[in-house]
Amino acid sequence: MQITQPMAENAEHRRENLFVRIVRRLADSRELTLFVLVIALALAMSIVYPNNFPTASNMRAVLLNLAPVGILVCGMMLLMIGGTFDLSVGSTLAFSGVWAAVVAGWWGWPAEVAVLVGILVGALCGLVNGLIVTRIGINALIATLGTLTIYRSLTYVTAGTGVTPITDAFAEYGRAADPLLRIQSPFWAMLVLVLVGGWLVARTRFFRQFYFIGGNPRAAQLSGIRVDRLILIGFVIMGALAGLAGVLGAARLNSAVVNAGVGIELKVITATVLGGASLKGGEGTILGGILGVLFIALIENAMIINAIGVFWQGLVVGLVLLFAVSLDRFKTSGRA
Amino acid sequence: MAPRLEIKGLSKFFPGVRALDDVSMSVEGGEIRALLGENGAGKSTLGKIVAGVYSRNKGSILVDGAETADLDEKAAGDLGIGIVHQEGSLVPQLSVAENIFAGRQPTQWLGQVDVRAMRDRARVLIAQLGVAIDPALKVSTLSPAQSQIVEIAKALSRDLRILILDEPTAALTLTETEKLFDVVRRLAANGVSVIYVSHRLAEIFALCHSVTVLKDGRLAGTRSVTETSTDELIRLMVGRDVHFSRAAAGRKIGDIVLEAENVDAPPLVRSASITVRSGEIVCLAGLIGSGRSEFCEAIFGARRRRGGSIRIGSKPIDPRGPWDGKHAGIGMVPEDRKAAGLFLGMDIVNNVAATVLSKVSSGANFSNRKAEALAKNFVNELRIATPSVRQIVGNLSGGNQQKVLLAKWLAMEPRLLIVDEPTRGVDVGARSEIYRLLRALADKGVALLVVSSDLPEVLALADRIVVMAEGRTVGELPGDGASEEQVLRLATRYTASVAEVRKEPGMAEA
Repeated sequence: MQITQPMAENAEHRRENLFVRIVRRLADSRELTLFVLVIALALAMSIVYPNNFPTASNMRAVLLNLAPVGILVCGMMLLMIGGTFDLSVGSTLAFSGVWAAVVAGWWGWPAEVAVLVGILVGALCGLVNGLIVTRIGINALIATLGTLTIYRSLTYVTAGTGVTPITDAFAEYGRAADPLLRIQSPFWAMLVLVLVGGWLVARTRFFRQFYFIGGNPRAAQLSGIRVDRLILIGFVIMGALAGLAGVLGAARLNSAVVNAGVGIELKVITATVLGGASLKGGEGTILGGILGVLFIALIENAMIINAIGVFWQGLVVGLVLLFAVSLDRFKTSGRA
Repeated sequence: MAPRLEIKGLSKFFPGVRALDDVSMSVEGGEIRALLGENGAGKSTLGKIVAGVYSRNKGSILVDGAETADLDEKAAGDLGIGIVHQEGSLVPQLSVAENIFAGRQPTQWLGQVDVRAMRDRARVLIAQLGVAIDPALKVSTLSPAQSQIVEIAKALSRDLRILILDEPTAALTLTETEKLFDVVRRLAANGVSVIYVSHRLAEIFALCHSVTVLKDGRLAGTRSVTETSTDELIRLMVGRDVHFSRAAAGRKIGDIVLEAENVDAPPLVRSASITVRSGEIVCLAGLIGSGRSEFCEAIFGARRRRGGSIRIGSKPIDPRGPWDGKHAGIGMVPEDRKAAGLFLGMDIVNNVAATVLSKVSSGANFSNRKAEALAKNFVNELRIATPSVRQIVGNLSGGNQQKVLLAKWLAMEPRLLIVDEPTRGVDVGARSEIYRLLRALADKGVALLVVSSDLPEVLALADRIVVMAEGRTVGELPGDGASEEQVLRLATRYTASVAEVRKEPGMAEA
């Protein structure tokens, strides 16, 4: 009886009109939905504002600004596929940036070492998050809400009002631009991470295990997947990425700001969910996540060019998020 | 006089499925009527329509001769129809009394809940059922049987005329089941009509007056229990005769694969030992709560072990997690297929691949092609009924889900396969197929350790039966020629003697 159900649905399919079929097709792939939306938005903006939107400088600004969120989305997507998440990324980002700046600016160590220290501090923050979640067994919402305030506080304790300026050699890590497109390094770092991360998560056996963990953690455990160990690794990766974002951000400004990344965790989670992740876990791709980031960045850019004002941004982003997630209701292959 | 409940021409459609098709039946006051059928036969749907959980598409429902309009849960409750759901509907964090009067608590001035009155009334209701449960207790502290009784008390808190019980004994032990039956009999003696949804035939003969059988949403027949037999009921359920006969002997039983000695995994496993040979099916029998599943989990590494030794093919192992058990060549099909076995939101390919990610990969890369080929193999071999290997497992029927779960573990080619309740929630037709599969595995030389609470199943499958009680292995029987009585005697005799031993210190105090 249950087998006949999909067949009956298929028969109905043929009778459906074009519009419904398009909606279904879009609903089946969040990446496709977002891709269409991004292209549509870019085209509309290019036609309405040919002098402001499709310019090299505007594009450079958009791509550079989305870099930190884009880097964080890679880690957040991995965690959310595994059914968990990290709220402390903004604090980790600031803490790592400040430590890199302290090492380079105050202690005068070489810039390379400072960059490494920054990433390691981030990874360490992630390790602590992961240990709290997997060993002590506190749920991720509360655990990382706790470390969000702890890491932020440690940032203030470490550097007071921040480290400005750092050093020119260190700043070069965030400012170096390619000769052709002249986009600065944070964007290129993000691009590499998205490509490599996208391949790893989509294709490799190791990262595939996160989908099983998110799909049903108990079944994954009983299938011989080391659930706790992998979740711990996920948190360390998330922390290291936040560390990298913090280091690059500090380098680009040649200044480690103690308030860097405040509130970024919600932006990242918004983009991740928009990109196809589910709070229950087991779903999503890095490609989807980065398209989510791109789409939000374009909307923000459009609002600025429109001079509609930043106050309206949240409204639009929120509506788009609810719209995209509600498309799931039209999926052809839902759960029973 | 009109019957208490009369159903005429009832039909219910779900998208793509005809769940009930022109079903008519009537139940008298004080009658206990069983509603029997395979999974998906529509028995739960029928119960839920009468209780107002689902609306009907066609047909009429008469209570004491009066036609009912479209029922919702509240209207049904006002008519004196109560339902105890399969999954339970109590809030574990709240007290027994609050659950019984959910939303209808007696109040004092300003709408304040009158806690004392509520508890007193709850105590009276529970006492009517012949048991004592403190109404101030939180539901989370109750046993499954006590929770069921609270659910019945909740139904009883209104003027109850018809009580629907949807598979109430699924989570209960034998003694708890007996207690529940007493409660049901007492209600019926007071004139309440009971509709008892179940697929456990033995229970129906023990408790009910009459039985209505559904098959594929249609009425297959109504019988009085004194005039029917197990065979006839099964024939009505499946439309054919099914015998779980023992396979012909002649399988080659080889070397010892598993040898577990004095395994100690508190609190449920005290001292359990077992050996399983290659090509042998050993069934682990015993009452619910005797520690069978827990013993298996300890062997597999899914449960911490405090003492004892485990050898696989004479090599000692010390599994610290399921991955260690898997590494040693052990597969384990867990009892709870939905919660612990399958990835319901994923397709067959991914479910089958979950235990063998390295096998379906080229280097570090997961290969969709290899995984699909593997899944296709199993779909053919195990005759899994599905439109494609990309079907979401949650959309398959219980029997096919169980086969996917088996495939998931067959994929790793285990030396020892532990199967916990191989046919729970699986209909009769798929059952015999699963037995065939398990026998075929043993023929190939796999050692099989099967946990089952279903004695006919144990007798049909086992080459050897090991019985557990109170966390210990207490006896062993050859599978051939064993009887249900022998197994039960082993399982319960020990329990009784332990209970006697325990009583002594108490008596000394008195």
